[in-house]
Amino acid sequence: MKRKVIATLLAATMVMSLAACGSGGDNGSSGGDAGNSGSSSESDSGSSGGGSGDSIRLVNGKIEIDSQLKKLAEMYKEETGVTVEIESMGGGIDIQGTLKGYYQADNMPDIFVNGGSTDFGNWEGMLEDMSGEAWASDTDAAYVDEEYGTIGFPYTVEAVGLAYNADILEKAEIDPATLTSPDKIEEAFKTLDSKKADLGLDAVVGYCAEATNLYWSTGNHLFANYIDGGLDRDDTTYIDMLNDGGKVDKDRLTDFAEFVGLLNQYSDPALLVSGTYDQQILNFASGKYAFVTQGSWIGATITGDDAEAYEAAGNFKVGMVPYAFEDGMDTILTNSPSWWSVFSDGNAEAAKAFLQWCSEDKAQQVLVEEAGFISPYNSCKYVANDPFAQTIVDYQTAGKTSGWHWLGMKEGLAQNYTGQVFSDYAAGNLDTDKFVQTMEQVIQACYAN
Amino acid sequence: MSENSSSRKMLSLVLLAAGVAGMVVSLVMDFSGGGSPVRGPLLIIGAIAFLIGLYLFPTVEHHRGIINFIFLFPLLFTFAVTVIIPLLLGIFYSFTDWNGIKFTGFIGLTNYTTMFKDPAFIWSVLLTFLFVVFNMVLVNLVGFSLALLCTSKLKGVNFFRAAYFLPNLIGGIVLGYIWQFAFNNVLVQITAAISGHQNSVLANTKTAFMAIIVVYIWQYAGYIMLIYVTGLTTVPKDVLEASQIDGANAWTTLMKIKVPMIASTITICTFLTLTSAFKQFDVNMALTNGTGSVTDFFGSYLTNGTQMLALNIYNTAISKNNYALGQAKAVLFFIILACVSIIQVRISNKKEVEM
Repeated sequence: MKRKVIATLLAATMVMSLAACGSGGDNGSSGGDAGNSGSSSESDSGSSGGGSGDSIRLVNGKIEIDSQLKKLAEMYKEETGVTVEIESMGGGIDIQGTLKGYYQADNMPDIFVNGGSTDFGNWEGMLEDMSGEAWASDTDAAYVDEEYGTIGFPYTVEAVGLAYNADILEKAEIDPATLTSPDKIEEAFKTLDSKKADLGLDAVVGYCAEATNLYWSTGNHLFANYIDGGLDRDDTTYIDMLNDGGKVDKDRLTDFAEFVGLLNQYSDPALLVSGTYDQQILNFASGKYAFVTQGSWIGATITGDDAEAYEAAGNFKVGMVPYAFEDGMDTILTNSPSWWSVFSDGNAEAAKAFLQWCSEDKAQQVLVEEAGFISPYNSCKYVANDPFAQTIVDYQTAGKTSGWHWLGMKEGLAQNYTGQVFSDYAAGNLDTDKFVQTMEQVIQACYAN
Repeated sequence: MSENSSSRKMLSLVLLAAGVAGMVVSLVMDFSGGGSPVRGPLLIIGAIAFLIGLYLFPTVEHHRGIINFIFLFPLLFTFAVTVIIPLLLGIFYSFTDWNGIKFTGFIGLTNYTTMFKDPAFIWSVLLTFLFVVFNMVLVNLVGFSLALLCTSKLKGVNFFRAAYFLPNLIGGIVLGYIWQFAFNNVLVQITAAISGHQNSVLANTKTAFMAIIVVYIWQYAGYIMLIYVTGLTTVPKDVLEASQIDGANAWTTLMKIKVPMIASTITICTFLTLTSAFKQFDVNMALTNGTGSVTDFFGSYLTNGTQMLALNIYNTAISKNNYALGQAKAVLFFIILACVSIIQVRISNKKEVEM
């Protein structure tokens, strides 16, 4: 008798734990496991049907601001009672891939991040048109699609350029405003290289071309300069060539390749081929490099995680010069790096209300002052105290900015193709001509598929 | 039994009917896109009612069969839903232009011809075969040597048995990242101090391949070692004593007696290492994510030097958003794996020694 009782109790416990897994697992990020195909009838009632307006889920692509977003969520909950769950993905994770997994498992978030036309293309017809929202008329950085309307909510402006340590350049008596041609930049590199010991530098440039984790730094951001460097914001010559079967302009690419060769030469050898992103930023914040090949997003890291090292190095001013691989290039690339979209089949109304709230005063204060964002909203009166805010505003007011047409490159071009070529070039396995040849070859292979 | 036989039969039939009706109704509601929250529970209750009805069905000669069916049903159902049905659906989708969400038409064998013309894919297949061959040999050698050590009379063998097995418990992704850190940061410091090489082992395709093998051996040798330990301890002591009396030294004992006696263990271990090496994915993704350049393979420069078959399939489907092609590659993967496994088991069965 006793055995039967124990057996029944154990069986009941097992069944209960299965039931508990089923309901709790919806909210967690483990819902991406596509092995749920057979039990769709159970998960249906949990996720898509359950929209009573009490909770929305946001997938954010910038892991640097995870804590600031969670603070926003708390503020929003106090004000309206709606829970906002923040899920942050970063560090090279394939965000679109994870989202596709969520879609298969009926576990789509209500708001999620999209980076460009290829990302938005994945969700054609499934995103809310927000042209009627109040914030849409307060900014011109929203993502507007001809067919589907305003489907992207902007939250910051970022810049891609060659970041420099202003104090070091001052000590070496180099005027950053003159660095608008490859010869001038090479001269500056040589000067700094000869004065390395006096200035306390490990190397002139902190350039990392590691293929596994930093393909985006080379294949996306650095290559973006080939596509947009020195051009007007709406000049799409080179991206159109690229999307037309992977054609490249050989002369421009050769000039670009020579400039990258310069970076290879003057970079920190310990970082160049096998370094990490964290190490790259930390060394720059500690004043060990004069230049670093990363964009304005590192401002949040320098003043956040690396704050101690930054302070020890004197909280130096920073600025940006263009990757001037041809004479006369004097623009940096600025754009909204990504946008937040609302999934139509989710809790759309509550999500749109949250985004509207995010564009207003209290939320913008948190985003600008604590997350270091530069607000894309004209009505926003807060100025970021991010180290790079001033230089971006300077270039913007002077009208010297170019677009981010690299967002329209074919999906996976950097991760699967060009990132590796940059890495080989940095390791010295390819010379300049071979680099140009190989880039052409892999880009064509990518677009041929 | 006979008094309540007719009432039992009634109850059983009622439950059977109610169960089937419940399941059909809920499935109809689901397929017609209803969205009612009652569908899920109704399906489950219907299934349970059906099973209870089956259990109560008054028959003597079939009762045993019914009990077998009821107890096997959950397992078989889950297996069918998560393995068999996706397999069949996958083979079906590989002949269409499926994009992960819907398909619009049949394209026949186009996916397969594209796949075979892609040098990157051919490289992945060859690399995987090479990896499997290296690993089958090395993991078994290392595992066997460790097993010999752990069955000897050294002090603390129990501690070592547990210690060697621990790496197997760490999940593949975490393992890959830890070793990536070790190769990129720790090993680089050592090689930089000794020979001035600043580049990590993972930067060059050939050395990265060796690195993946090292990590794989580190992960699996313990598991294989435990199986060999079990095998070695079942070698009968009288045979060993007899050989000792006849003057056999350690090496002869090992090669002529122990190895033939554990032939079935060797079968099991080679089978395990063969299939798991073929399916290697998480360490590959976490350690190098398939990067590595191959300068000239059939005239093209490849950027997926360390990408093995499973990662190639994942990449095609998820990163490059080409689900139908990925599915075709997966079907090929299934065929290769099935053939290899069948051949390997056939060959090994012939070599086993019956005692």
